[in-house]
Amino acid sequence: MTAVPAIAFNAVSKSFPRVYGLTAWLKHHGRVPRRQALEDVSLTIAHRTLYGLLGPNGAGKTTTLKLMATLSLPDRGSITIDGVDVGRQPEEVKRRIGLCTSEERSFYFRLTARENLEFFGALAGLRSCHRANRIAEVIDIVDLTDAIDQRFSAYSSGMRVRLALARALLADPDILLLDEPTRGVDPVHADAIRCLMRDEFVGRHGKTIVLTTNVLDEAWAVCDEVAIINAGRIVANGPPAELQRRIGGRVRYAISFDRLHPQLADHVRSVEGVFAVSVDATAQTLSVELLAGSRTLTHVLQAVTSNGVTVYGIRPLGDALLELFRTTEDAR
Amino acid sequence: MSSVSTIARPSVGAAAEKIGAIFLRDARLAVSYPMSFWLGWVSIAGQVLAFYFMSKLIGPSRSFGFGGRPGSYFDYVIVNLAFVEFQTVAISSFQRAIRSDQMLGTLEAVLATPTSLPLIVLSSGLWAFTLTAVEVAVYLGIATLLGLNLAHTDLRTAAIFLLLTVACMSPVGVLSAASIMTFKQLGPTNWVANGLAMLLGGVLFPVSKLPVALQYVSWMLPITHALNGIRGAVNGATLVQLAPDALWLAGCAALLLPVSLLAFSHAVRRAKMDGTLGHY
Repeated sequence: MTAVPAIAFNAVSKSFPRVYGLTAWLKHHGRVPRRQALEDVSLTIAHRTLYGLLGPNGAGKTTTLKLMATLSLPDRGSITIDGVDVGRQPEEVKRRIGLCTSEERSFYFRLTARENLEFFGALAGLRSCHRANRIAEVIDIVDLTDAIDQRFSAYSSGMRVRLALARALLADPDILLLDEPTRGVDPVHADAIRCLMRDEFVGRHGKTIVLTTNVLDEAWAVCDEVAIINAGRIVANGPPAELQRRIGGRVRYAISFDRLHPQLADHVRSVEGVFAVSVDATAQTLSVELLAGSRTLTHVLQAVTSNGVTVYGIRPLGDALLELFRTTEDAR
Repeated sequence: MSSVSTIARPSVGAAAEKIGAIFLRDARLAVSYPMSFWLGWVSIAGQVLAFYFMSKLIGPSRSFGFGGRPGSYFDYVIVNLAFVEFQTVAISSFQRAIRSDQMLGTLEAVLATPTSLPLIVLSSGLWAFTLTAVEVAVYLGIATLLGLNLAHTDLRTAAIFLLLTVACMSPVGVLSAASIMTFKQLGPTNWVANGLAMLLGGVLFPVSKLPVALQYVSWMLPITHALNGIRGAVNGATLVQLAPDALWLAGCAALLLPVSLLAFSHAVRRAKMDGTLGHY
């Protein structure tokens, strides 16, 4: 018998209207143009896994998380949480998850942290006889005990994120959906949250965590598996070490010359360790993608100079994360 | 870490705890604005005094009484205005609660909890109804000191008409909340309902003073039957005597309540499809 995964997406697509409101609706005769946020996303997350959704802003990470949390509905495809269909049994799904949003405004500003947690704890189904103790536990976990009776409006950005994490933990759910839980948090507490996720929640209590982040190092350091999401598509996924081997070992350089020999690009392509070459004739530049940490670049330079051209300059293209996204996009 | 047994399975007790939490949240938020909270009470006293002095210009009339007996304008208008408060709160409380959660950014967090939509939306009016009931009691208390006669009131009939009025008007409020979920702004429902009540519902003057054609329109309004019922109860009429008004309100409530909850559920689903749940 196949084990039921903690979370399963089956060919999920999601789009949003490009414009909102009655005026736009009338203007487009009821057929408002839509923007594709997710396209045919399939993924399976096993229990007791720390799964990272890594991608740039607007890639579709939060949309994916909101679909899991029943706050959004897919256009096509199906989603199950612990075997329960998100569209058919949302209440049952919500009993299994804890959501930590990245929205700073998701609490009542004029209530204290304790009053907020009392309210959300009751709505999460936490019994009144256990509520006070559980609030004390989760507030201690996120190190806000001293500030529990402060109004939420007095909280800093980092404290608000930690309180959102405490709220997600209230009902002690098996599955935690954490939307950038270290965003705006100081380095000491961010590190503590990463340790909590890795060692306490997943390691000791066997929870499943879906973590969205755009910080490459964070995903690499704590996740069992990472899905790189870009423009609404999963462009690569797997354990960080495997991803590193598969796509992380490539680098790109722009090499400019005094003139571009017609066969120069072909000569460079024939060098072992070169994956792709593109030509910018105007700038008299070749963009070369090659194996990182090898002698390939030396061989490329030998190949071009043997054709009688002079190298004017070499520069690496893009930062590590951007390069990784670009590489995965090209590799699809 | 706590065990899973600390989580209540869906039950009446668990639902009651959630309703209590929503009530407590709204009470805490209301008293966190002390100036606004206390000014509300001052305005109640001012309103009663204003109608007390105005009524001195208008003598007793059969139009203000019940069952052919003459009555005073003060008794007539005070009872009507007190009761219209329940219409106002029934229509406005749900939409204000949803709008407030949209503006505060808490709507998604609330909807992410395992709490049913009808419970969330209907409970969000509980604090407002309780506060209004207390305000109306104070309102009538002050008016009694100034001569309002409540000695003949049939309390059972009055309570039934109060419940029927709330049950009949609340769906209008839930429909307004559904509209806010879709269009992200307060609609004119409250203004229209209060305007119709004042003009055609017999709040400030008897419906019999309207042209015949408008009297038919007035008959269509729930507030007309609600006010007729409560005035009858205040004058000692029994539920049997007021049965036509009670049945009209009950039928209206039975029809509108499921429709309004379906409309709200549809509006939430639409917002989830369009990704506008967190918009405001």
